[in-house]
Amino acid sequence: MPERLCTIQPTVSGIAVLTIPGNRTVSARELLDVIHHQTSTLAGKNDIKGLLLTGSEDGFCRCPVESSLTIHDAATLSSVGQQVMFSIEKIGKPCIVAVDGECSGLGLEIALACDFIVASRTARFGFPGIAAGLIPYCGGSQRLARLVGKSKAKELIYSGDLIDAEEAHRIGLINRLYPHGQTLAQAEELITHICTRSPNAIRIGGEVVNAGYDIDLQTACMLERDAFALCFSSFDQREGMQAFLDKRQPQFKGE
Amino acid sequence: MPYKKLRIEIMNRVGYILLDAGSRFNKLSITTIRELRRAVAQVEEDESANVIVLSGYPGESFAAGADIGQMVHFSPIDAFHLAELGQSLFDQIESCPKPVIAALNGITMGGGCDLAMSCDIRIAAGGLRIGHSGAKLGIITGFCGTHKLPRIVGKNYAREIFMTSEIYSAAEALQMGLVDMVHNENEFWQNVSVFAERIASHPLTALSAAKRLINAAEDTDLRTGCLLERETATHVNSLHGCNQ
Repeated sequence: MPERLCTIQPTVSGIAVLTIPGNRTVSARELLDVIHHQTSTLAGKNDIKGLLLTGSEDGFCRCPVESSLTIHDAATLSSVGQQVMFSIEKIGKPCIVAVDGECSGLGLEIALACDFIVASRTARFGFPGIAAGLIPYCGGSQRLARLVGKSKAKELIYSGDLIDAEEAHRIGLINRLYPHGQTLAQAEELITHICTRSPNAIRIGGEVVNAGYDIDLQTACMLERDAFALCFSSFDQREGMQAFLDKRQPQFKGE
Repeated sequence: MPYKKLRIEIMNRVGYILLDAGSRFNKLSITTIRELRRAVAQVEEDESANVIVLSGYPGESFAAGADIGQMVHFSPIDAFHLAELGQSLFDQIESCPKPVIAALNGITMGGGCDLAMSCDIRIAAGGLRIGHSGAKLGIITGFCGTHKLPRIVGKNYAREIFMTSEIYSAAEALQMGLVDMVHNENEFWQNVSVFAERIASHPLTALSAAKRLINAAEDTDLRTGCLLERETATHVNSLHGCNQ
């Protein structure tokens, strides 16, 4: 397993930083397999509270555009890619992406499957594959359209142009914009802050948001009502509310 | 029966429902939610009002969420019933045939944020402080917020708001699309009234048809939505034509 394609540094605060640098020689399939392996390992570790994905100067998870795939290979790649993105969505821990350079193609697919993206002013985003006749294949067309609206998604995918971080912020593709050089530190601070919150509430909340997004509002609200009631059988709810009343910081256990 | 947690004023075809729960911040207690349901039903039936404005003006808060002192001892089934009660109010606001404007005069947290999102349009004062502190309290929101928020600001901002439990400013809320307009404190109430009165001057048949159709757009595919629009427009526009 070429682990260097996706390295993990756990920090003392229970955050795992996954670095997926740009690589000019690796295939998308190889990258997907490594990322799947690493993220599922982290998902099963109780001492890991949250994930921060980041890249290198060369961008976030850049790999060469696929050329000459057979129909069969293309179908397999898309099916594997979509499964990997769904498994990232289901990690059950907060998972954010910090981008400094270029986040395009497969990199953007992965970023879209995480909870949200933060970036520095030098970051750029897009799906440049169209020039080679390629479209997103890991769910990116669906996630992008849902996030920024159909028109913006079409503009990005049809043109293949990369947009800068400010434009990405304006259209809601990224949540926060940081000065160049500060992104990783700021993102680490943000995910550490998020991990002081109740792991239960974050996991249940994330799942309810995802599950309810594509169904009718009435059914979605029933789902929320039941998940809300479930929270009231947890240690975290009693601890969180007691801490609020006592005006102290809560100590959550995720139980 | 008189109201204890709010008052109603009707002026220039606008029905104002003003929360004043008697404490520094308006809490969405069971009593307050019940009174809100009664108040919305009352203004809905009142023919002198075309539009409803929901606010905590001139207090410090719009609504600061549920009563934690009450909720800390809740069993799961108590929580289930509270969610049901809250959701029924929000459903009532959404299906109310009159446009409902949330005038966010100040602190708008948790259930208060959900209440604001059940309204059709949100106007904020410059001093707005808005957010969802569920993850800090060990819970998720139970008043439709997990579904309304992603539909209004997109999934990614929604997850950020829930996960951080942070409090956001008026400018941040405007950037995310969580509020539609922001006005300075000293012009806030006047602008709210002017805007509400302008909408209230339009025929109610057209206003409620538009509200119904736009709400339906969220949950139907485009073809069904267009069918609905054709039927509704045929009826409403001919009605309006006859009045001219």
